[in-house]
Amino acid sequence: MNIQQVGIIGAGSRGQEVAEAIAGVGIEVILLDRTEVVLTQAKHSLERLLDQRLNKWGITEAEKKAILSRIKCTTELAELGGCQLLIECVTERIDVKSELMASIEHVVDANTILASNTSTLSLTEIAAKTKHPERMIGLHFLHPPQHHELVEVVRGLQTSDRTFQVAAHFVHTIGKTAIEVYESPGYVTTRLILPLINEASSLLAEGVASIADIDTAMKVGCGFTYGPFEIADQYGLDSVVEMLQSLYEETSDPRYRPTAYLRKLVRAGHVGQNVSRGFYRYDELGNRIEASEGGGASR
Amino acid sequence: MKVLVLNCGSSSLKYRLFAMPEESVLTKGVIEKIGTEDAIHRYETESEESSLTEPIYDHREALSRVVATLTSKQAGVISSAQEIGAVGHRVVHGGEVFSSSVVLTAEVKESIRAMTALAPLHNPANLLGIEAMEEVLPNVPQVAVFDTAFHQTMPQEHYLYPLPYVLYQRHKVRRYGFHGTSHRYCASRVPALVKQDLSGLKVISCHIGNGVSVTAIERGRSIDTSMGMTPLEGVMMGTRSGDLDPSLHQFVMEREGLSFDELASMLNKHSGLYGISGISGDVRTILEARAKGSIRATLAFAMYEYRIRKYIGAYAAAMNGVDVLLFTAGVGENSPLLRALICSNLTYLGLALDREANEQGTGERIISSPASAIKVCVIPTAEELMIARDAHALVVGLQRAEE
Repeated sequence: MNIQQVGIIGAGSRGQEVAEAIAGVGIEVILLDRTEVVLTQAKHSLERLLDQRLNKWGITEAEKKAILSRIKCTTELAELGGCQLLIECVTERIDVKSELMASIEHVVDANTILASNTSTLSLTEIAAKTKHPERMIGLHFLHPPQHHELVEVVRGLQTSDRTFQVAAHFVHTIGKTAIEVYESPGYVTTRLILPLINEASSLLAEGVASIADIDTAMKVGCGFTYGPFEIADQYGLDSVVEMLQSLYEETSDPRYRPTAYLRKLVRAGHVGQNVSRGFYRYDELGNRIEASEGGGASR
Repeated sequence: MKVLVLNCGSSSLKYRLFAMPEESVLTKGVIEKIGTEDAIHRYETESEESSLTEPIYDHREALSRVVATLTSKQAGVISSAQEIGAVGHRVVHGGEVFSSSVVLTAEVKESIRAMTALAPLHNPANLLGIEAMEEVLPNVPQVAVFDTAFHQTMPQEHYLYPLPYVLYQRHKVRRYGFHGTSHRYCASRVPALVKQDLSGLKVISCHIGNGVSVTAIERGRSIDTSMGMTPLEGVMMGTRSGDLDPSLHQFVMEREGLSFDELASMLNKHSGLYGISGISGDVRTILEARAKGSIRATLAFAMYEYRIRKYIGAYAAAMNGVDVLLFTAGVGENSPLLRALICSNLTYLGLALDREANEQGTGERIISSPASAIKVCVIPTAEELMIARDAHALVVGLQRAEE
C-alpha cells in the first residue's frame, strides 16, 4: 500500500515531532486535536522546531516552508477520512487511547492502518474495543525523531502480517530503521532506558557524582550519544515518571519505581527542555546553558 | 525515428520528444509532485503550452500520462505510441562499469542498482523511471546515458584519492566526475567552431550552472574533472562548498554540535555563493546585490570566479597547455561578466578576449580575439539532445544487428 497521507491525532510535542518527521520526507500530514488553541500552539512549536533545524543548517528556508505546507491542522475528525495511516500521539493513558481508537474506526477506510505511538501501554488492550484489532499496530518513534532513526514496530496479539508489513515499509519510506517488537511493557528501548535514568537520578541524589559527570561517564565511557539526564530532559521528566509508573504498575518490579528525586523535580515543574529547565537549563531555542544545579547530595 | 528522453527524479520527471536524426524537439514537459493528488503536468509543443493538476500516484502512471499526451488529439505530436522507437534515460551514476551509453537489459539494471550506495538519491529514482517505462512501452528499446561515463577515460593517477588503497578496492572510493553528457556534447561542438579536429586539441570545459564542474579534455577524452566521488567536490557552487580541508568537518561538528546529516546539508545547501553572501545561491541575484554595493555578495562572486579560475590554471598545467576554453550551462552561457573576469586573469596563457563578442553575441560562438593563443567559446549545452543521439545510434545499431 502506498501511503500518501498520514493522520496524526494529538498535536502535543510528540504529535508535532512525528508530523514533522513524516512531512519532512514529502508525505502529507493531517494533524488533529480538540481545539484551535492547541493547534495554534502546535503551529508555533512546529515553526520553532524547524527554526532550530534551520539554525543547524539541517534544512533550508524553502524546505521549512514546504514541510509546514504539508502539515494541515484541523479539529474535524472527518478530515482523517482520506488517510491510509493514522498515528495517535495522545496522552499516555490506556482509557484515553482505547476510547480514541474505537471512536475513529468508523471515519476511516477499512484498509487504513491504525497505529499507536505508545511506549509503555498494552497495544492489545488499546485494540480490544476496536472492531478490527488486526489493523492496529504500535509505531514507537524514539524521541526526538529528528535525531533518532529507530522506530519500534510493535505487534499486538491480533496484529496481522499485512499490517506489520505495511507499517514496516512505511517506516523505511520515511528514512527510519524499523525493529520488530512483540508486545511487552516498554518494548526494548524504553525498558532499557528508563531504569538507566532512574538509577542515574539515584546516583545524583546520593551525591555520588554531578549531573554533567554522570552524563559524561555514559557518553565517553560507554559510547552513548546522549547521557541519561540529557535523554530525560528531551523526553520530559513528567513523561519519564509517568512511563516508569506505568511499567511499575504493569510488572510490580521495584526497579521501575520512579525515584523520589525524579518526582520532586516534576512537582517543581522542572520537567525538561520544553520548559527550559530540567536537569539542565535551556535558552529559548533549546540550546543548553549550564547544569541546573551542582551535585545532588543536598537534595 | 522518435526518441523520448527522460530525466526521472524521485517525485518528478522531465521529458523531451525528439525526431531523429533531424534532431528537432517535438515537445517537452515536466511532471512534478508525483505521488500526490495534485501532481502538476506542464508541457509545450511548437503551437501550445499547457499545465494541468491531477492525481498521479507513481512513475508508471506519470509515464502513461506522458505517452497519452504525446498521442492525444489536442496536444498530440505523434499519432500512436508505436512511433516512439527508443527511450533514452539520464542515469546519474554508472560507476566504473559504464564508460559509454548502453541498451538497458536486466544485467544493466542490476548494475545501476548496485551503484545505489554511490548515488543514493539519484540512481533509485532513475531506476523507477526505467522500470515504469518498461511497463508502459514494453516493446520499445531503452537506453541508459550516464553522467559519469565520459570521465571514465581519466587515468588512475587522476581519479584516485591519496587514501589507503584498500578503500578503493573494497568500496570503489575514487573520483568519478559528473556533468559528463554536457562536457561531451560541448566538446563535440568544438571542431566545427575552431575548425580543427579534437584529436589535436587540449580543451578546458567549464559547466557553470546550479552545479559547477571544470573538465580537462585531451584529444577528445576527459583526463580530469573537478567533481569527485560526489558532486560536492571541486569549485565553489551556488549552494555547495566545493573543495575543503577534510579536517574542518570534525571541528565544525564538535563546535556547532552537528550531526552528519546536518553537516551534509550545510555543505550541500547552505554553502557556496549562498553561504558567503547570505543572500542567494543564484548568480543573477548575487550580481544584482553586487551592483548595489553588497560587500558579501561582492566577496562571494570574487571567490566563485577565483575558484573556477584556479581549476582552469590547474588543468592547463595538467595538460601542459590549453587550446580551447569553453563556457556552458546557465551561468557559463549567460554571464559575460564572469567570463570576462576569469579571462582577464589568464592573459599569461596568451588569452585575449573579444569584448564585443563576449558581451553582445548570442548562442554558440567564439569570444576570443583572432590574435588570442587560446580560443574561448560559448557553447549552449544540450544534454537531452546528446541522450537522444546515443539512444538513436544504439537502437539503430540494434536493429541492424537483428537484420
